Amino acid sequence: MIAHTIFFYIFSIIAVISAIMVTVSKNTVHSVFFLILDFISISCLFIMIGAEFLGMIMLIVYVGAVAVLFLFVVMMLNVAQQKNQWFLSEETSSHIPVGLIISTIIFFELIIVIGGWKYKPDLFNSENLSIKNEISNTHSLGQVLYTDYIHVFQISGMILLIAMIGAIVLTFRQREGVKKQSYLKQISRERSEGVELLEVESNKGVKVDD
Amino acid sequence: MEISIIGLPLLASIIAGFFGKLIGDRNSEIITSLLVTIAAILSAIVLYEVIFNQYQDNIVIATWINSGTLDVNWSMKIDSLSAVMLVVVTSVSSLVHIYSIGYMSHDPHKPRFMAYLSLFTFAMLMLVTSDNFIQLFFGWEGVGLCSYFLIGFWFKKDTANKAAIKAFVVNRVGDFGFALGIFLIFYLFGTVNYSEVFQLIPTITDKNLIFLGIQINAIDLICLLLFIGAMGKSAQILLHTWLPDAMEGPTPVSALIHAATMVTAGVFLVVRCSPIYEYSELALNIITIVGMSTAFFAATVALVQTDIKKIIAYSTCSQLGYMFFAAGVGAYNVAMFHLFTHAFFKALLFLGSGSVIHAFKDEQNINNMGGVYKKLPYTYVLMIIGTLALTGFPFLSGFYSKDAIIEFAYLRGNTTGYYAAGIGIFTAFLTSVYSWRLIFKTFHGEFNNKNIKIDETHESPLVMLIPLFLLSIGAVFAGYIFKELFVGHSGTNIFWQDSIFFLKPLSTEHPPFWFLVLTPILVILSIPISYYLFIKNKNLTKQIANVNKPLYQFLLNKWYFDELYDFLIVKPSKNLGLFLWKFFDVKLIDGFGPDGISSLIKRFSLKAKKFQSGFVYQYAFVMLLGFSTLLTFLIIK
Amino acid sequence: MTEITLGHYLTLGAVIFTIGIIGIFLNRKNIIVILMSIELILLAVNINLVSFSIYLGDLSGQVFTLFILTVAAAEAAIGLAIIVVYYRNSGTIRVEEIDKLKG
Repeated sequence: MIAHTIFFYIFSIIAVISAIMVTVSKNTVHSVFFLILDFISISCLFIMIGAEFLGMIMLIVYVGAVAVLFLFVVMMLNVAQQKNQWFLSEETSSHIPVGLIISTIIFFELIIVIGGWKYKPDLFNSENLSIKNEISNTHSLGQVLYTDYIHVFQISGMILLIAMIGAIVLTFRQREGVKKQSYLKQISRERSEGVELLEVESNKGVKVDD
Repeated sequence: MEISIIGLPLLASIIAGFFGKLIGDRNSEIITSLLVTIAAILSAIVLYEVIFNQYQDNIVIATWINSGTLDVNWSMKIDSLSAVMLVVVTSVSSLVHIYSIGYMSHDPHKPRFMAYLSLFTFAMLMLVTSDNFIQLFFGWEGVGLCSYFLIGFWFKKDTANKAAIKAFVVNRVGDFGFALGIFLIFYLFGTVNYSEVFQLIPTITDKNLIFLGIQINAIDLICLLLFIGAMGKSAQILLHTWLPDAMEGPTPVSALIHAATMVTAGVFLVVRCSPIYEYSELALNIITIVGMSTAFFAATVALVQTDIKKIIAYSTCSQLGYMFFAAGVGAYNVAMFHLFTHAFFKALLFLGSGSVIHAFKDEQNINNMGGVYKKLPYTYVLMIIGTLALTGFPFLSGFYSKDAIIEFAYLRGNTTGYYAAGIGIFTAFLTSVYSWRLIFKTFHGEFNNKNIKIDETHESPLVMLIPLFLLSIGAVFAGYIFKELFVGHSGTNIFWQDSIFFLKPLSTEHPPFWFLVLTPILVILSIPISYYLFIKNKNLTKQIANVNKPLYQFLLNKWYFDELYDFLIVKPSKNLGLFLWKFFDVKLIDGFGPDGISSLIKRFSLKAKKFQSGFVYQYAFVMLLGFSTLLTFLIIK
Repeated sequence: MTEITLGHYLTLGAVIFTIGIIGIFLNRKNIIVILMSIELILLAVNINLVSFSIYLGDLSGQVFTLFILTVAAAEAAIGLAIIVVYYRNSGTIRVEEIDKLKG
């Protein structure tokens, strides 16, 4: 299990360092890159630990979609050009010690929970949800997802749908000066307003007014 | 018919007060004067009935309060006492109304004046015809209110406003004692109707109460408290300070209110409550002393005053002292007699002085008058008649009434009586000196006025002279005609019957002859004396004044009463009020209350506003804080 | 320390969680970093869930992680859309200048 240990430490240290660099780095694009690195290392960790489906999904979704989305937005908003300092204004620098103190408190509280749990094992045993080592992670997930968790699955699909609609609705804007056809208007035109019968006398034309 | 006596002035007041603008000045004057004159004629008829047919009645007009044992009615009690007062009030009031038509002819607010005069008449009539203490108090307050209105009639003048407030406040001090007396009566007897109270008085002659830590006989206490009210209303010493300042009002006001009617309400109160006062030796003695002191004090001050109306005002104060003095020695009928005659000649004097002021184009300082007796013949003669009556010149009305007072004092027999009689005689001498001083300085000597020429002074119009004339008839003859009726020595008082109560019948002796003629001789002698002092040899008065400068200043400044009250009462009250306002009200109450809380809330909300910084990360930070606190709490638990 | 237990994984998750939280309120750069910190937090939660799932042999942790993934993606999309629209309206995404909620 040495490899387990070594790899765990490698991946976790990379993850922690890149997490720190996400918040600290001056260039926003660099922040996004470090986020990507973070995701990659964590997904490697997942693969190592045996949840390979999840690791792959994380790579595809998080890195491939979400982080790229971040990059797109960073590019659009011209953020990378801003050379910001780490702490921009002086009056708020008193927040840093307070913030760090509070976060260390939270960290230690989390650790306490972990430590406390270790000495009070009450396991939750669920037979049909146990990991069967014969079938792959993907297979076992698929067995559960479409049967027991079908409702949650469908709802998460709807969440994605609504997120998509929401994003479009939020950022949609009409362009001025674009010629468009409104087929609704075209279809709903009546004969009475479209066609007009006229008596035309010979040798005289028709005056069309509009 | 009797109800119309009090209804007509009220009606006149309402018409002139509310519709004066509508019906015009002349009409409101005529209507009010007419209605009040009709009331006067009706009261004369009532008096006739009372005198000759022993008419008595207690007409209940309406029920006012009926609560528990308190049963108070609006009523008219007609007996000899109230009939006399009815005649005095309505006749003087109607003459003053007619006089005001002429005196106030240049004033732009005639309907208001007439309305106030009639309202005052109504209130005074309510006072004298009540059969219970509450209606009496209603009339009491009503006349105080009308006095405030009338004194401050020219409200654009600052001094008039101040004088009106002074009158009201000083009266209020008296009214406070009066109200306490009424409360005490109700507390002791459970009723405030005269008839019941007077019947029950003999039953509690031995009752003692603790009042302000002192043990005092209940009846004494009642009498003293009621007398405090009388002191305020009738401007006796200590509560007299409002009377001279009340001369800020127009002269007809002074004639009506401060000569004939309002100031006599105190005397009326004491006489009406004679069944109570007869049982209280202490109160009667105090009344005597107060009355005498007032008479003396006012006479000394009047010697050096220079304002013609103030001299007559102090003279009123002095004569009221005589009336109280008479009541104090138990001679209530003599007090009423003096009230009756005094109303006539004092109103005559006031209205005459108004005529003089009118002639001198609103000049009131007698040092700026003089030498116009040929120019104002009628006024001159009528003023002389009034002065003769006032001083007690033999056979005029004042002679009978004032000398009767001094006689009864002498007949008392004890040292208080002799002492009081002596002061009474001396004060009578002073009275005549200053009265003749007024006449001589006003009408004789050189013409001292700097502003107008002597040819511009003219006699008053007829509408002002006729009331003067009618009053002079009263001043001359009222004493002789009514002498037997009021103070008849027939032993039994047929006229007064039950309206005045005598515990022991008055003595019917006569004082020795030398005593009887002492006063008239002094009075007659005073005429040439004052002529000499004030016309012939003015330097003598100046020398006396210079030699006795402190005494002169003391008299001139009215015995420094106003300054004393200012020092003792006015300034401390004002400072107390200022202190309470500045410290308590502003700092404490406002500080803890509205202002303090509002600024506190403001400060807190300013601090709380900082939470809403608009920065999302700060909101997230606060959430984190809360989360960590919750976590800590859960872990520790 | 050579034996990797559940505690190690949970500690890793706690560390990344804390770093994400620091990133939210300690950054002065722009809003996008805040969104990235939120992703970090969700990542930390994922680590926790997966490690619990593996160590307890219970598959529901991984199922839930899948859904968290879904929601995180949706939320990142919406959040970025909001930032884009906000940038259109106010021209800046610097944290100090976004104080429209100030009151």
